[in-house]
Amino acid sequence: MGKVKPKRKSTLIDMTAMSDVTVLLLTFFMLTSTFLQKEPVTVITPSSVSEEKVPISNLAQVLVSPEGKVFISITGDADEANKDTWGSEAIRAEVVRKAVSKYNELHPNKKVQLSEADVEKFSKINMFGVPFEALPTFLRMSQLDQDKVISDMTRADVGIPINDNRDLNHPNEFQIWMQAIYSSGNENLQAAMKKGEGIAVKADAKTPYNTVHDVLDNLQTLKMNRFSLMTALKTEQD
Amino acid sequence: MAQIEQSDKGGKKKKKGAQKKMAIHVDFTPMVDMNMLLITFFMLCTTMIKSQTLQIILPTNEKVEQEEQNKAKESEAITMIVSTERDENGEPKKDENGRYKNTVYFFAGQPMLVDENKDGILEDSNLEREVFLGNEGSTQRGIRKILHDRNKDVLKKIDELKVKWRNKEFSSNKDKNDSIYQAMAKEIRNDSTLTRPVVIIKATPEASWESLISALDEMNINQISRYQIDNINHTDSMMIEAFIRKHGK
Repeated sequence: MGKVKPKRKSTLIDMTAMSDVTVLLLTFFMLTSTFLQKEPVTVITPSSVSEEKVPISNLAQVLVSPEGKVFISITGDADEANKDTWGSEAIRAEVVRKAVSKYNELHPNKKVQLSEADVEKFSKINMFGVPFEALPTFLRMSQLDQDKVISDMTRADVGIPINDNRDLNHPNEFQIWMQAIYSSGNENLQAAMKKGEGIAVKADAKTPYNTVHDVLDNLQTLKMNRFSLMTALKTEQD
Repeated sequence: MAQIEQSDKGGKKKKKGAQKKMAIHVDFTPMVDMNMLLITFFMLCTTMIKSQTLQIILPTNEKVEQEEQNKAKESEAITMIVSTERDENGEPKKDENGRYKNTVYFFAGQPMLVDENKDGILEDSNLEREVFLGNEGSTQRGIRKILHDRNKDVLKKIDELKVKWRNKEFSSNKDKNDSIYQAMAKEIRNDSTLTRPVVIIKATPEASWESLISALDEMNINQISRYQIDNINHTDSMMIEAFIRKHGK
């Protein structure tokens, strides 16, 4: 008897079906998801039974870190058609111009000068939070350094300065920013802020109330009495 | 990587002019690799759940004349003071389920203070303590039970309304059904002929943000339309101190 020759079997596996599945999954993820916004600190919001969703456009979001640092992000109209006039970048540029000129008016000795390039750079940043004085230096950094600086909560020049000022003739920096956002000339954003959908306060579940209270108090002083608080969805057993 | 196998077997005689039959195998492995990478990327960089929001209206900071403030009726008022236990580092303490230990102190009507030896240190008050607890089955627990009992009239009517809403009695159209239900529920919540509580929410400085949101959430759950957030005052903190002295943490 001759030796039994092992049959040579092809090891090729048909991957077409697998590929089909992965493409389907990919499509699903691409269609259902929204990108995570880059934020200097990760906060875990408390949960509530409210079913209202956070709007994706025309929103000024105030983020309060557990250390009490305040950051603001501005989102404009998501509609591609009016990107140049009412898109996020256009609004941010307008806001920073207004805010800086207001700041210079109030502090003639400590004027902040921003070039056009700085303004353009600012308009690309989703969430900002540095004092006006540190703004030019911050904007001239590379993106990597910016991320490093803004997520370092121990630094003194991170976070928008805020105090319990109630005199709107001498607004603090947070109040200057909020006023600039409100009067940025964007009607949709202004209307949303009036209705209370346009301002969202986001804070971590374990942040002391005192810290957040500062922000709420400032908003009250600005007569922005209607606003929303960001929460997560409550689970059944809560 | 795409093989083209020629399927001509040696023995068969080829017909002249007949086309060669070819089976085409394209290797999809790299394609799958790439797709998997993309899926991983999308899964890591995206959020599926959008955050919810809680709408809130606060009064302005402008000074209001004392007389102009509409004072809550004593029998209807209930004051809630939320607080969170924290350790020496300021980190909130957690219970065995990993939740933060939020407590609610509350009293009905006016604060009633007991100071027997008149030394300014309170011995007792009408303050009580509760915790935030979810439902167990259909029974309310914790602070929710207390608020629920105080707002029975409204909740009973809204429960009746909910049954109708579930059976789509208002309209067969889902959106229309919802909006009619919402409008009617709002009317009940603001019906002044029913006994409805007025809740004043206060928070101690160390109270977590979560505890305040929970308190606001209880207002939504218990369909309470009249509530406000106020600043904690000296009497309140003295009452809490007295409570802790008497009953422990």
